[in-house]
Amino acid sequence: MTTILHLRRLATVGAVLGALLAGAACSDFFNVTNANQPLLDSLLANPTRDRLSAAAIGVFGSARTGIQNYIWRLGSMGREGINLSGNNQPDYQEPFYGPLQGGGFGGALWADRYQNIRNINIYLTALATNTDLSAGEKAASRGMANTMKALAFLYVVLTRDSLGAPVDADRAVNATTAPFVTKDSVYGYVIGLLDGARADLRAADADTVAFPFPTPPGFAGFETPGAFKRFNRALAAKAAILRATAGTCGTPCYTRAVADLDSSFLDRTATTAAGFAAGAYFDFSNGAGDISNGLSEPLNGDTYFALDSNVANADTQPVPGKVRDQRVLDKIDPAVVVQRLGGIPIAGTLKFKVYFTAGKADPGHQIPIIRNEELVLLDAEAQWFAGSKAVAVNDLNQVRTNAGKLAPTTVTIASPDTAFVTQLLYNRRYSLLWEQGTRWIDARRFGRLSAIPPQVSGGSVPVAMPVPDAECNARGFASNCTPLNP
Amino acid sequence: MAQRTSCFALALVALGAAGASGQERQITGRVTSATNDEAIAGVNVSVTGAAFAAVTNADGRYTISAPSGAVTLVFRRIAFKRREVSVPAGQNAVDAALEADVFNLEAVVVTGQATGVERRNAAIATTNVTGEEASRVPAPSLDRALAGRVPGAIINQNSGAPGGGTQIQIRGNNTVIGNPDPLFVVDGVLYSDASLPTGLFTVTGSSANRGNGELQDDPVNRLADLNSSDIESVEVLRGAAAASIYGSKAANGVIIVKTNRGKAGKARATVTQRLGFFELQRGPATRTFDTTSAFDLYATPKDTAEARQDSALIRSYLVNGRLPTYDHLKEIAGNKPLAYETSIDVSGGSENTRYFLSGSTKRDGGIVDNTFNDRQNLRANVDQSLSDKLQLSLSTAFTRNQTDKGFTNNDNDGASATYAIAYIPGFIPIEPTSAGYVQPAITYKSSNPLQTIALGKNDEVVTRFTGGGTLTFQAVQTDRHNLRFVGSGGVDLLSQTTEVVAPPALFFQATSSTPGTSALGNANSRLWNWNVNAIHAYAPASGSFKATTSAGVQVEDRELERWRVVAQGLLPGQSNIDQASALGQQFELKTKDRTLAFYGQEEFLTLRERLLLSAGLRAERSSANGDINKYFLYPKASASYRFPQLLGEGTEVKLRGAYGETGNQALFGQKFTTLANTVIGGQIGTIVSGIAGAPNIKPERIKEFEVGVDGQLWNGRATVEVTAYTRHTYDLLLQSTPAPSTGFTTVILNGGVLWNEGLEIAAGVTPIQRKDLNWVFRTTFTSLKNRVQELPVPEVCKPNATICGFRPANAGFGLAYGEFFVQKDKPITQIIGTDTVPGTCTPTPDDCAYVNRYFGQANPRFRMGFTNDVTFRSLSFSMLWDWQAGGVAQNQTLSLYDCNGLAPDQATVAGQARYNACNTYGTAGAFIQSTTFLKLREASIGLELPERIANWFGARTARVSVTGRNLLLFTNYFGYDPEVSNYGQQAIVRNIDLGPYPPERSVFFSITAGF
Repeated sequence: MTTILHLRRLATVGAVLGALLAGAACSDFFNVTNANQPLLDSLLANPTRDRLSAAAIGVFGSARTGIQNYIWRLGSMGREGINLSGNNQPDYQEPFYGPLQGGGFGGALWADRYQNIRNINIYLTALATNTDLSAGEKAASRGMANTMKALAFLYVVLTRDSLGAPVDADRAVNATTAPFVTKDSVYGYVIGLLDGARADLRAADADTVAFPFPTPPGFAGFETPGAFKRFNRALAAKAAILRATAGTCGTPCYTRAVADLDSSFLDRTATTAAGFAAGAYFDFSNGAGDISNGLSEPLNGDTYFALDSNVANADTQPVPGKVRDQRVLDKIDPAVVVQRLGGIPIAGTLKFKVYFTAGKADPGHQIPIIRNEELVLLDAEAQWFAGSKAVAVNDLNQVRTNAGKLAPTTVTIASPDTAFVTQLLYNRRYSLLWEQGTRWIDARRFGRLSAIPPQVSGGSVPVAMPVPDAECNARGFASNCTPLNP
Repeated sequence: MAQRTSCFALALVALGAAGASGQERQITGRVTSATNDEAIAGVNVSVTGAAFAAVTNADGRYTISAPSGAVTLVFRRIAFKRREVSVPAGQNAVDAALEADVFNLEAVVVTGQATGVERRNAAIATTNVTGEEASRVPAPSLDRALAGRVPGAIINQNSGAPGGGTQIQIRGNNTVIGNPDPLFVVDGVLYSDASLPTGLFTVTGSSANRGNGELQDDPVNRLADLNSSDIESVEVLRGAAAASIYGSKAANGVIIVKTNRGKAGKARATVTQRLGFFELQRGPATRTFDTTSAFDLYATPKDTAEARQDSALIRSYLVNGRLPTYDHLKEIAGNKPLAYETSIDVSGGSENTRYFLSGSTKRDGGIVDNTFNDRQNLRANVDQSLSDKLQLSLSTAFTRNQTDKGFTNNDNDGASATYAIAYIPGFIPIEPTSAGYVQPAITYKSSNPLQTIALGKNDEVVTRFTGGGTLTFQAVQTDRHNLRFVGSGGVDLLSQTTEVVAPPALFFQATSSTPGTSALGNANSRLWNWNVNAIHAYAPASGSFKATTSAGVQVEDRELERWRVVAQGLLPGQSNIDQASALGQQFELKTKDRTLAFYGQEEFLTLRERLLLSAGLRAERSSANGDINKYFLYPKASASYRFPQLLGEGTEVKLRGAYGETGNQALFGQKFTTLANTVIGGQIGTIVSGIAGAPNIKPERIKEFEVGVDGQLWNGRATVEVTAYTRHTYDLLLQSTPAPSTGFTTVILNGGVLWNEGLEIAAGVTPIQRKDLNWVFRTTFTSLKNRVQELPVPEVCKPNATICGFRPANAGFGLAYGEFFVQKDKPITQIIGTDTVPGTCTPTPDDCAYVNRYFGQANPRFRMGFTNDVTFRSLSFSMLWDWQAGGVAQNQTLSLYDCNGLAPDQATVAGQARYNACNTYGTAGAFIQSTTFLKLREASIGLELPERIANWFGARTARVSVTGRNLLLFTNYFGYDPEVSNYGQQAIVRNIDLGPYPPERSVFFSITAGF
């Protein structure tokens, strides 16, 4: 009797257990997915129009990641400014005294750009399997994506020395790492991407399709495939010119650049600030989920400071009172609070106001990608070396007298190349101040690094960004990719 | 298919035993304490060789069934030594007196979800700490009270901040990126020890990355919500064989907390009132300047217009012709705030219903103004006998825990007060003037730290409910069979609200284009678990062995939801997030893990209860794994043998050995590659995340052998427990760093082997044991070695590479300051850094060649705890010393002082060398410092007041005591405390010191009255 009772009890317990387990094991109980973000697999497996549109916005969004770092780090190397926040000594110690560490100062610049490139490659992969976009829309999308990819590679190669950079980056994360190719090959690859993109944009333009995604405000004026092509050509011209000074291409590249500039949004006749400012921009804001422009610091800010040499080296306007180059006046103001650190004998006395709106710091201020003022100066360079020196001198003066409010240059078509380059670099320095690290880039291009005073005793101006340690380590090389570097 | 397996296992659980019967008799009696003759309730009474058991009531009385022949009765209860009494065939009344068990020799060691064995038989090393030991000297949280008491555990506080923040690391570093914390189980309920950040990083800017920033918020690990005074015992399962029953959450050991239960009888109440204070223990000294040294540092380059301005500025600080020296540390952390704690508990009930109720409220002030911890606890534990076979136990606890830790730790934006004072020379005043706070002319990021402390807020409020129940059904109880079903379940719900506010008036905020920051956040954690067990004990009529078979099923479900919104550009005087010009850095994160496990085990006790053999297996599947249908198996086996009287009368030696496997589950989300979002121009888009997930991820697996010798001498007055173990972690959860040109920053993978080996000793002796004088001495010893044995090829070990290893996340701040580096054949906590190649720095520093080299490891050579408890009549005295030898830390607080030329010894050769190490050479050696220390963790003097005095205020008993925590610290370490962790709870990247909340000591006066 007892035994039977026990068995009944056991059966009851068993039944309860069974029911609980049925609720547990026999359902989707364990299939817990990640509901926080979309998954990569969902984009690749089902690349709908909407998802591709979001991914395209992501291409523009990720194109600006780390650009602020790029500007102040290259700006420090070229002695435009200095980061005196003091929380991280290498921020001033490495660019002013050297050596640059592959693990620290420059590492992130490279990673951010390749993340942008990976993002574009995944977008292109997903695009290829999409079924609800028209052929024209796909061509337009490809044209946009490859143009942005070329832009990312341009940022990479600008900081590189002879070793160049990997370009065949569209590989599985665990595949053999892409080989380094020479700097010239990277430029060749960039120009190839841009030309291919132009063909796609042309095809889309012929179909009169619109981009199947919204373009950000910074691309106002380039919202259609046909208009975007002009941005594409501006980059192509820049790439060709950079290639001309980086390798053996020389005059053919300059000649090509002149043609590319003609298909771009170059306006040689611009005289106003708005005319020079026309171009493509990265957007920022302090809106939710957006990135804000941290380079736009108030005059009592304590991080980024302009070096005194920016003022000292500027030409004087032909007006009474020895007023400096208008570009210096427009871009630099005295700091409200002087910043002093025990670790470096440079006091922060001047601030940049390049990214001010209506005289005040603005976290939503755009940062230029490429704009007309740069195109006019690129045109000057290309025309000079392609043989049209008169156009070149005109271009220089267009910027010098309008943006700088200076007297025309003394350089003539009879001047030697070095004199022209000096004047070109002067104008590029002040026209593009704190926008892209141009002073350091140009000094390298024309072998004039030694012309930049280090500003601190015992200091030196770095010759190249090291390859990030992680890139070297992944290839089995020690720090700075020894023996590959530079 | 998997479902079918479940159902099969279920059948196993349901398999019981057949009933049986025989000739029986009833034995009755009373159990009392040998020291004071008081009745002892809750004593387990059993018959050797049979399955009968009983428990004494409030009067110490019991009744037990027993076979008719001569038997041996065993009396056992926590805190008392076991007693065996031979009972001849005819005797049916047996009284017993039990002696106090100072070394917890008689504790029952947990061996399963619902099983345990007596400690004298246990084949695994565990540590039992009583609630009295854990709560004698007030501590911010239970974990700190365990420091020095648990062999095999390295217990370190993360900072001195009020409210807690402590890490227990048991048996070394067993993971790299997996969960580093032990599993906490309170009254059978999984208890969240999550470290939930406040969002402080949104103002300190300690990292631009939310994950890395939150780690630097100095979060409280939520064990701090538990009231130490409610605790009856804490059992620490160190080894894999012991923890195996908890499967893939037990890699770092399991800490099982039991809270007080009610005792039947007249209601008894205890009231405790504590009053005390905190004060700064230690910190960096201030460099004194004269005008020459100040000009040297700040008025450079010499003879320039700038230098002339700077020297004029410095001269403006002259007081009576000399530069003054203000101690900024004392100015920011010189408070001696009052602290108090009031608690009351009541226990009582009838035979069938017993209750324990408690309530407490406490406030710990912080040595930094406006920082504090306030905590209120309520607990109700009820035990109800539903019938003679059905028992129900319920435990419920409610906590409200509010903490403000202020602004400290790593900083990039000027918020951290401890960071800022490393930049402000002593001659510049920071105290407010009649005009209010002044921005110091030389400072960090415009900060005036006193202004920050006065106006900033870093507040969190946690409300928490933990409730659980256990239902025990005694299905069969005969002389040979004992079958029980135990069902247990519970839920742990906690909700945290955080508010970090930096008003726009703060100087460091005013430099922003949108000054004023307010971060509002919330976290909700829900853990629930239940298990059902069947336990069958069988003893044959011969009494030659006892076999305990148990099987069960367990379900665990964990959910955590968090969100935060950060508002910037606040209206003056406002802190609500809608009173701002911009919202950003918002996030919402939901994580969920579900685990189902089946387990079974067999324990076999034989050879006159000398030999214990045990084996068990747990099969577990989880949503965290790549393959959610796969069952992972965790086996264990152990054996022990006792040699009674081996070294003479009153001695016993036990040899034991065990093998076990446990796991460490992948963290939520590690198997997915996600798309992050970005907003540009008001449009939202997706970006591929930099982390490549591992779709096939599986738990780490720990395999461990442990052997030990336990000895008792002098009738239990001396005891020693020695354990050696060797454990390997396989399938480590790792993140490799791919070439950045792949576009990914991190790849998650399983692979590699990590080896830990260690020696643990716990010893105790009672040199004097007399009625009026008692002296108990205890010591614990912990040493461990570890090494990375394998790392995956080629993901981590790159082909052709001379070094096989990787930089773990948050390894440090650059090799020029020292960083952790996980490397094959090296200790896992090694710190490497940049050094110059000897002889290369001539003639100038520019000629230096550099090399990265090993500077030490974070793990100490050993850690020892010493406890003395002396009782003389009604006076008692105790002390706990904690000694750590070896180990190094990245002392970046030192590097701040050095890099800024503000180290107190800057003018000496050594000080100048460290200044140059930072500013000229970029070498790390100077900033990697030994963490050897000796701390007086606890000291207390107590006096039991005579009964007549207690009676004055109506009490039965009264006791007064003075206690102190962290009273003394001896170390050569610079600055604050060698126990530190800028990144909070960490598997390996602990020991980074970067402007932490300064360490504090506390002194309390307590009075306890029993009613």
